[in-house]
Amino acid sequence: MSQSSKSVALLLLTLVLLELSMRVGTAPICAHGQAGCHVPSLADLFDRVIQQSSRMHGISSDLHSEFEQYFFPSKNLVGKRKCHTNGILTPDDKENAQRIGREQLTEVILRLLGSWGDPLSQLYHSMSQDQNQDFNHYSSNKALEISDVVHELRDGVAKMAEKMKLLGVLGNTVGYISPESLVPSSTFSFYKQGELNSMDHHDLLYCFRRDSNKVKNYLRILKCTTLPELDC
Amino acid sequence: MAASSSSSSSSSNLLLLLLISSLDWLSTPGFAFLMARDHMTSSAPLEPHFTECISRDQETFRCWWSPGSFHNLSSPGALRVFYLKKDSPTSKWKECPEYIHSNRECFFDVNHTSVWIPYCMQLRSKNNVTYFNEDDCFTVENIVRPDPPVSLNWTLLNISPSGLSYDVMVNWEPPPSADVEAGWMRIEYEIQYRERNTTNWEALEMQPHTQQTIYGLNIGKEYEVHIRCRMLAFTKFGEFSDSIFIQVTEIPSKESTFLLTLVLVFGAVGILILIVLIVVSQQHRLMMILLPPVPAPKIKGIDPELLKKGKLDELNFILSGGGMGGLSTYAPDFYQDEPWVEFIEVDAEDADAGEKEDNQSSDTQRLLGLPQPVSHHMNIGCSNAISFPDNDSGRASCYDPDLPNQDTLMLMATLLPGQPEDEEAAFDLVERPPAPERPLVQTQTGGPQTWINTDFYAQVSNVMPSGGVVLSPGQQLRIQESTSATEEETQQNVKEPKGGEDTEEKKLKELRFQLLVVDPEGSGYTTESNARKISTPPSSPMPGDGYQTIHPQPVETKPAATAEDNQSPYILPDSPQTQLFAPVADYTVVQEVDSQHSLLLNPPSRQSPPPCLPQPPLKALPAMPIGYITPDLLGNLSP
Repeated sequence: MSQSSKSVALLLLTLVLLELSMRVGTAPICAHGQAGCHVPSLADLFDRVIQQSSRMHGISSDLHSEFEQYFFPSKNLVGKRKCHTNGILTPDDKENAQRIGREQLTEVILRLLGSWGDPLSQLYHSMSQDQNQDFNHYSSNKALEISDVVHELRDGVAKMAEKMKLLGVLGNTVGYISPESLVPSSTFSFYKQGELNSMDHHDLLYCFRRDSNKVKNYLRILKCTTLPELDC
Repeated sequence: MAASSSSSSSSSNLLLLLLISSLDWLSTPGFAFLMARDHMTSSAPLEPHFTECISRDQETFRCWWSPGSFHNLSSPGALRVFYLKKDSPTSKWKECPEYIHSNRECFFDVNHTSVWIPYCMQLRSKNNVTYFNEDDCFTVENIVRPDPPVSLNWTLLNISPSGLSYDVMVNWEPPPSADVEAGWMRIEYEIQYRERNTTNWEALEMQPHTQQTIYGLNIGKEYEVHIRCRMLAFTKFGEFSDSIFIQVTEIPSKESTFLLTLVLVFGAVGILILIVLIVVSQQHRLMMILLPPVPAPKIKGIDPELLKKGKLDELNFILSGGGMGGLSTYAPDFYQDEPWVEFIEVDAEDADAGEKEDNQSSDTQRLLGLPQPVSHHMNIGCSNAISFPDNDSGRASCYDPDLPNQDTLMLMATLLPGQPEDEEAAFDLVERPPAPERPLVQTQTGGPQTWINTDFYAQVSNVMPSGGVVLSPGQQLRIQESTSATEEETQQNVKEPKGGEDTEEKKLKELRFQLLVVDPEGSGYTTESNARKISTPPSSPMPGDGYQTIHPQPVETKPAATAEDNQSPYILPDSPQTQLFAPVADYTVVQEVDSQHSLLLNPPSRQSPPPCLPQPPLKALPAMPIGYITPDLLGNLSP
């Protein structure tokens, strides 16, 4: 028993370390300008964030398309899906996105990203526990990856907002948005409590794909309105 | 459990059916479209349905419908389009904001277009028959098909070293309808190319940049290239652009380099030929500069070929009077083209038996053509205007090679070494002087004459083709003139204990006729006695300068001369030791060569005769041929 407990403890330790390291991100950013550390500029931050958002959207699209191919849905359930983020008001087209201004846009982005942290981890857990289908085993890794990307992206956008506030580009109306405040618990209960079946998975993936596309587009518009000279 | 199993089995059956059917559908190129179609159309009579809804810029979109098999509804306005925008739970169906009946198209402008919001489309006929398919619901971002890129063109990157293939850089502009600049659409591109008149397209990897390289195209073949694009992370491609054609023919640069090398080669060859021509044309000049000719021995009237090594027999023959022409007057002239060649002629002069002072104009002087108190003919004839200055004489002397002197020829004959049988002939020749009474040797028939200063001692410096021997100036001359270049020659052999013998020297100056004589058994120089004979005619120790020719004279003809000659201040060596005390500055007589090949000279002062003695014999210069004197000949000539 002691041996098994020791091994379990060791495993937990490694997992924790792994998770911590993964949460740190691909490249450390020195937010406080420590010595010997290259402080990224706003353009650098924008680039990283946009890259991450593209990656997030790409993975979500892949997952969703694989889901659709695997399951061959007989119906097009586009109109019938309901996502838990439908309550968040988002600009629906380009003019609206450009019209609402940087502060609101940033806030929307942060809301969206914050609202997907928990559902994605739940999805991952559900998919990994679903032992009947090989597909879930294959795509559960991607689900894990997506959840990590979302976390990183949210942190990155927050840092970028702070930088923009420092530079005076962004007003002070954008406060720190805690994930709990973003998503009301009622919306989260939209989904079934407890286990999620594959349809739920499918819905989640569809919704996430849509929202990741929103985030990607909003971030790009934000960049091109803030720093128009860079690759816009 | 049973229900689940049945449902699972039915679902698996359905799955199997769908799989099999999908295989058929996959084989057709319009698979995706057909799938969509199947979603949109029902099985039996074809209802009016929407064929396609497309957005080009994610800000507007269009939908096309078709009446299907219901042709009565094909007239414009028979079918109406309604859409439902599910942005709120209380949304309602609305009619198409803009109809384009000619196309059966419904256009949704910017105000009516919202992204990420599901749209559902519906057709309604006039009698409120609704044709709706669940599959006709979509979100705008999923129906985006961008316009094809514009301004497609290509540039040549490089050509392989083998010249068979090349790389091409293709570049283009994003479609103007897509707002790539604002970041609203992110597009990736796909290039496809193929050889002309083939059917299969090669597709390159999709990438979001507006340029791409195509590698490995073949020279000479024509390629067709087109491009399409789609939104990043989405599935629907836009249409292909118009094709452009790429063709690269044979590279002319190779030809140009080939031509360049050809031109260079020909230029180099031409220059080489020019240089060769210049060298050949100026060959003689170049040879003169690089290899100046060395004067060869020249005897007047004798072919210079004979003077080369190993042809002594012929030469002797000629000199003895045989052969064609020989040394006669009519001997062919071999040196016409060498005007600088000079042959000193010697003429027999009327003997002026008198004081040596009377004969101030020594033979040498006469020979050299110096102005003299005695009117003697001087041989100043020249073959041409150019006079070749002689180093020893200090005065130019010329010689006309056209008139060889018989006497000189005879002298030459006698002077040749090792020809005892010719001596008779030589003597005969000598005995046949044209003018025996004339003391001077006629070097030219009828021409101006010179006579030599018959000092006994003289140095033979050169032999003329005519037979004349070019002598170096005598000691008297040198001592009087106090300049001599030949002193060193004698000083090599002589150790001069000057001093008390100056007086004797002075006497000798006047008397002596310098002749460098060597033991006849030796190298061929004349002995003293031979020299005496030789020099009998020119016995006057004139202070002549320059050259003195030696005329071998027969002892018989000139006994008087010889007698006088005997009294000439020749030095008969009594002992080798006396030679060392020879006061002779320039010349002395070499008596013999000892074992170490050193010349043993005679002291010149030993037998200094009365001053008057040598004059007559010197002056009484018979006409004698000028030439070499061999020891053998001299031996015969000795008294």
